[in-house]
Amino acid sequence: MRSITITINGIECACRAGDFVKEVALAHGIAIPSLCHHSALPGQACCRLCIVEAGKPGKGKSVVTSCVFPAEAGLEVETDTEKIRRLRTNILELLLDRAPLGGGALAGFASEYGVTDPYTPEHPDEKCILCGLCVKACEKLGNSAISTMMRGIEKKVGTARDLPAEDCIGCAACAKVCPTGKIACTEAGGVRTIWEQEFALLPCPVCGKPHITGREYDWLKARFGADGDAGGTPFDAFDPRICPECRRRTSSAHAGTLPASP
Amino acid sequence: MKEDIERIVALYPPERRFALAAMQDMQRQFNYIPAEGLDALSAAMGIPIAQLYSMATFYRALSLKPKGRHIIKICDGTACHISGSEVLAAALHDAIGIRPGEVTEDGAFSLETVNCLGSCAVAPVMLIDDTHFGGVTPDRLAAIIEEVGAK
Ligand code: SF4
Ligand code: FES
Repeated sequence: MRSITITINGIECACRAGDFVKEVALAHGIAIPSLCHHSALPGQACCRLCIVEAGKPGKGKSVVTSCVFPAEAGLEVETDTEKIRRLRTNILELLLDRAPLGGGALAGFASEYGVTDPYTPEHPDEKCILCGLCVKACEKLGNSAISTMMRGIEKKVGTARDLPAEDCIGCAACAKVCPTGKIACTEAGGVRTIWEQEFALLPCPVCGKPHITGREYDWLKARFGADGDAGGTPFDAFDPRICPECRRRTSSAHAGTLPASP
Repeated sequence: MKEDIERIVALYPPERRFALAAMQDMQRQFNYIPAEGLDALSAAMGIPIAQLYSMATFYRALSLKPKGRHIIKICDGTACHISGSEVLAAALHDAIGIRPGEVTEDGAFSLETVNCLGSCAVAPVMLIDDTHFGGVTPDRLAAIIEEVGAK
């Protein structure tokens, strides 16, 4: 794709045409507050916290959501103007009113912006802002064991019939991407508890620390066992039971044996 | 029930885009969508069960619990709202004891509100099964219910 330059807060940023402004900013060390965006799962664009002012020189700027706003040559972006901060404060007030007990990134931005809920929340115990990231993560990384249920003011994220889902493999992708800490996931004694189910964890074959659930391992094996991963590594050689720390160690040791890159 | 479910599922190619049509058929057949129906659909079309429940709980026309034999829809669109749809709903509650979203104990009626029936000129409007009633007043209500309930 065509290489272009855009300006963010006065800094020239090289990127490709069509890259999302939020990602370009991040690649250049400029953090834009966001809740519903994840680099691997883009496109929700519902929390509105990532708003910035953007426009072409001489054309004036408008407020856009940077997580889905495509870069084009010459675009000028301001991520932290007074107007943006004021709007973000307002957005945070509304999000907090929706999810007064929301923790994680939501609570973090609320305290950074010094925001408390100025209204009376309808559901004082709510943590979920209905951003949909968990559903998308489950669809892409897991088994679509959760989805949004109901509609309008009754909308929520859940499993079918609100029962422990047979489809759930306990991968916890949903809990990891959730920006408010809504999805409870605990681990104790080699067992992970999530969505009201208990999953036995398998030890990392290198260090022995519990890592993925047995059910996730079986599921991955059924999917990739024959063909290996996308890079062509055979399933057993890749071994998803290896924990991230050990994987980093083994792959960097391994890297030494690879031919030097040209 | 099992045979009906199998027949409905078999009507459609195993593709996601036919899921809603199959669910509508089940709703028509059983007056609700049985859990077994969604399980069969999930297996046949390869759609995760959570996604089917997401659809089934999203659309008002679908329900997971049996609806009444007669479905009363009170229009609560702007025109009907202004001409007293809420008064009608209250009068219906007095008459048959249910509020929107509920079913009478004998399973005869269920009550829903809808957003516009396209008959604003004769507001307030009520629909029972496929019959329209325009200009409904609380005192006409009893006669209408009696007439329909007798069927
Ligand atoms: S549970 Fe978390 S990730 Fe899922 S919709 Fe709610 S806030 Fe978003
Ligand atoms: S991160 Fe852009 S709208 Fe939520």
